[in-house]
This record gives sequence, C-alpha cells and structure tokens, in this order.
Amino acid sequence: MAAAPEHDVPIPYMQRTRDYYQRLGYAAYRWAHFTDVPFTPLARPLAQSRLALITTAAPFQPGAGDQGPGAPYNAAAKFYKVYSDSTDALADVRISHVGYDRVHTRAEDPNSWFPLAQLQRAVKAGRLGALTPRFHGAPTNRSQRVTTETDAPELLRRCREDGADVALLVPN
Amino acid sequence: MSLAARHLEANGIPTVIMGCAKDIVEHCGVPRFLFSDFPLGNAAGRPFDGESQALTLELALRVLETAPAARTTVQSPLRWTEDAAWKLDFSNLDRMTPEQIAERRREFDESKAIARTRREQA
Repeated sequence: MAAAPEHDVPIPYMQRTRDYYQRLGYAAYRWAHFTDVPFTPLARPLAQSRLALITTAAPFQPGAGDQGPGAPYNAAAKFYKVYSDSTDALADVRISHVGYDRVHTRAEDPNSWFPLAQLQRAVKAGRLGALTPRFHGAPTNRSQRVTTETDAPELLRRCREDGADVALLVPN
Repeated sequence: MSLAARHLEANGIPTVIMGCAKDIVEHCGVPRFLFSDFPLGNAAGRPFDGESQALTLELALRVLETAPAARTTVQSPLRWTEDAAWKLDFSNLDRMTPEQIAERRREFDESKAIARTRREQA
C-alpha cells in the first residue's frame, strides 16, 4: 500500500475557521466541548425500533431568496425554531443557510444531506422497524445556550411524543 | 447538533450522528458518530449515488447497534476523490486573493445583519 500525502486527513475545521476569522478580524468562536459523554444502550433490535430523523436542513421558503442548488450562503433562509414535517412524503429541505463546502459541492441532491428516502427503503427492507411519523428540523444557532436550553429539550419532547426508540442526526 | 444528540442520549434515546466535520463533533463529544471524509454538505453520501447513500446509512445503523461505548467514531471507507487536494481549499485564506478576502468579509457582515433581523422577528 502506498503512503498517503500529509494533507490527506480529515479537514481540521476548528483550526481552519479560527485562522480564517482571525485574519478577517472577527472574534474567535468557541465550539462546544465536554469530557463526559452520555451513553444509552439500545433497548431492542433496530428491526423492532422506531427511528426519528433530525436534520439541520431548512424547509424551502418561497420568497427567501436563492436556496440552491449552488446558492451562495443565504442567511434569510435560516430558521430559529424547531420544526417537524411528515416522513411519509419527501419534504423539500435545503442547506443554503449553512456553511457547506461551496467550492467542491453544489447541494444538488437532497439525498446527500437528508437520508429520508434511504430510511424509507430500510423500513421496507425490514432493516428498521419504523420511522416516527415526523422528522424534525434543528436550528443551526451559533448560541449554544439556545441549543441547550430551548432546541434540544424541544427535540426530545417531539421524539418522545412520536414514540422514538432511537434517533439519527444529520448536521450539515 | 452534537448538543442535541447528547441531550437525547442522556434522556434515554440512543443516537447516531452522520457527519463530515470530524474534529468539531469529537471535540463536543457524542455517543456514536459515522464520519464521512467528504466536503461539508454530504453527510448522507455522495450526490446522485444511491449506492454510496445506502452504504452510508447502513454504516450509521451498524454504529448505532454495535457501539460498545460513548465516543465511538467509525470512518466510512468511501473517498470523495482519489486526490485529496479538495481538503486544502475550505476557508483557506492562503488560497484566496485580497479581492476574494474583501468579498468574504462583506458577505459575512451582510449575512450577520440579515440573520440578526430574522432572529429578532422569529
């Protein structure tokens, strides 16, 4: 096997972003950081479990400007409250409101950030017991306080209301 | 999102995250993480590639059911491209002209102002 080049590692996003904002003259961002991590074992096999999908993608909002594919960063498409929508259909959810890699990808295929169609297939194949009737949208808030005190408890409440046994979270 | 996973997990709902930003997710500390070494925006697999998307989900489900302890990260074996040069571009000011940097600063200020107005209205 040939050795890989030095730069062929996962992108050091925190360092890259710190350097970037520092040189642009903005204050440094502090990412969430904990030493303790909770862990809950599965109560039953996945084939008998109900899964909740949680995404940071935003519902398409007519009138909120270019939301892609290939849109520039669009702060007007952001959302600030947890939302939910049906898992029976394929909702139109976009990622123009987040800092995805706009040089090397164009956000053309929703299945690359929102795996609902694949999850529906997994249920049909018996790999998963069921999906909860709704998926949930988590706001991409730079305020960790709002995420911790408002959004995370709201997501938990909705997951419980839907009888979720497990959850798949897909940040963008 | 990592904070949400931690909150669900602490309250009895096992979670798995699919993501592309390995350092940020691990710095926060999450129970289970399927990492794809892809450009941000492709956490669920390669665009227009059903096989890649199916494999990504299957790996995430396996991480969910087999992780022995918290902070379990599994890296997908899929590669974005054979050449890793794309990794050098993201937010890399050394690769931008002064004009591009000035444009980025203008965009950032503008986006912040829009987000502030929207948040206040929400």
